[in-house]
Amino acid sequence: MKNIHLPLIVAALFLATWHALVKWSGSDLFPTPWQVALGIVELAQKGVLVKYIVASLFRVTWGFFLAILVGVPLGLLLGWFRPAATALNPMIQVFRPISPIAWIPVAILWFGVTDVAPVFLIFLASVFPITVSSMAAVQNMQPVYVRAARNFGLSNTQLFAKVIFPACLPQILTGLRIALGIAWLVVVAAEMIAVNSGLGYLIIDARNAGKRYDLVVAGMVMIGLIGLGLDVAVRRLEKFDEVRWGYANK
Amino acid sequence: MTLRRTLLLTTFLWVGAISAAHYNMNMEKFSTWFAKPSERKLRIGFLPVTCHLTCPVTNFINQQMEGDGLFEPLKFSGWPELKESFLSGHTRATFILAPMAIALREQGVPIKIVYLGHRDGTALMVQKDSDIRSIADLRGKVVAVPNRYSNQRLLIFRALNNAGMTIDDIKLIEMPPPDMPTALATKSVDAVTSGEPFMGQCELDGYGRVLYLTKDIWPNFISCVLAVHEDEIRDNPERIQKLVDGIADSGMWLEDGMDNRMAAAQFVSKRYYNQDPRLLEFVLSKPPDRVKYNNLALQKENFEEIAALGKQSDILKGTVRFEDYVDTRFGEAAEKRKKAYAYEAEQALKDLGGQ
Repeated sequence: MKNIHLPLIVAALFLATWHALVKWSGSDLFPTPWQVALGIVELAQKGVLVKYIVASLFRVTWGFFLAILVGVPLGLLLGWFRPAATALNPMIQVFRPISPIAWIPVAILWFGVTDVAPVFLIFLASVFPITVSSMAAVQNMQPVYVRAARNFGLSNTQLFAKVIFPACLPQILTGLRIALGIAWLVVVAAEMIAVNSGLGYLIIDARNAGKRYDLVVAGMVMIGLIGLGLDVAVRRLEKFDEVRWGYANK
Repeated sequence: MTLRRTLLLTTFLWVGAISAAHYNMNMEKFSTWFAKPSERKLRIGFLPVTCHLTCPVTNFINQQMEGDGLFEPLKFSGWPELKESFLSGHTRATFILAPMAIALREQGVPIKIVYLGHRDGTALMVQKDSDIRSIADLRGKVVAVPNRYSNQRLLIFRALNNAGMTIDDIKLIEMPPPDMPTALATKSVDAVTSGEPFMGQCELDGYGRVLYLTKDIWPNFISCVLAVHEDEIRDNPERIQKLVDGIADSGMWLEDGMDNRMAAAQFVSKRYYNQDPRLLEFVLSKPPDRVKYNNLALQKENFEEIAALGKQSDILKGTVRFEDYVDTRFGEAAEKRKKAYAYEAEQALKDLGGQ
């Protein structure tokens, strides 16, 4: 938090340019930063802002949480057993590039318009980056760790728990950080499904509300700010000794 | 603290806290989670357009007069999601485009149209300073319609037929109605047509001009109908009857004086559509017959005309008959006894403010 001045100056410049461009273009459709701020205040006064933030965080939390539960063990497994990677990797690469938006119809058909559908979409978006980065972490691990462990006579379980997992942790964590960004990124797409809450829903709903682009941008701003918060939170994890050794810039 | 303990602790605290908060603020209560479909309230899909206005009106008045009610209206933001939710069985009743319902029937979906949602309520808009004065002037222009299964698309086909033109004379594109006002304002399209209030918005905001209202080119135009899953008709016919009765009565209520319409504009905008009430006030009153809610009985000749245009425009195959996709008994029973809800506009405004 020492270096807060530079980012603040950039933000101020950005807002000033935004304001000036809207004024200069004479558009009455696209809102100025001030109108957006008023929009956010209006949402807060109606009591929906907190509700929507909670709803979005809930869906991202569960989608991401399930993706970790599936992705990390799966990735470690694929990284360790070559045949497993040979067998499954092509399938993973087939599924990985499919956008969550393409899955929307499928999600509605399977889960209806419940909370499960967006959680499923967020799960899909984040499970592949997590799997792939965990897999790569094992594959890129220094072989000398495993050889040394073998010399000490570690069993397979011990090897996994005491050597492989700790050795891969820094890279896994980086993967999680990227995946969390993606999970949060798809929240708008995931909430296009007619759930009745969430920041993504706010954006879609505001489009239906006539000329309320201030609320559309308000939703974007909230998503951005919370995204920043999430990134800061995950970065704090990188300060722990268990992973700090793995990053060049200690 | 070690990384592992921090992670475990924060993860469990966070997952628990956010789930509890979400349950508290946004979710249905636990006791309803495992109820059978017939014990649950009937979910009805709708979009925030005037073609579906009777859905929220019925729900609101029912709630005020009888308490919680049998129905749960579920707002969607687009046709594909609304349709998919119906296909998944999540919403067993839905307001839907008439040609889309017929097309689903052709594809083997057990869907039955039980009542109309409205008559008219669509406009064809052009830019305010545009040279387009008639259908013939649309030659070579870009016209946006909501969906290939929308009756607005058929409306264009019909208008072109009458003007001795074909679809190749214009450039027809599909666009979600909420995007249409912006598209017209930025001149990315020459004309737009969709259900209200999006067309009224172009007029209200000062960049759109009405070329035609539907009542001028296709009198008694139908865009959306109330459709129900066959299982629901089999399992709960009395519930469907109550729904259709409610739609009929709120239709009559909406035609029972401008006060009712203005009250509806207030409570529907604020409680259901989440729009500026000025929009609905405008489209429900200027002129008052811009959209109509009486005369909602199912008439064979209307649907045969839609089916024929649907075939001409390649969205329908013509493999199903009126009797296959329509169930008229609920509408017939409702027509015999329909009367406007005994609910004063003043009371509606009071009920809206008092909650």
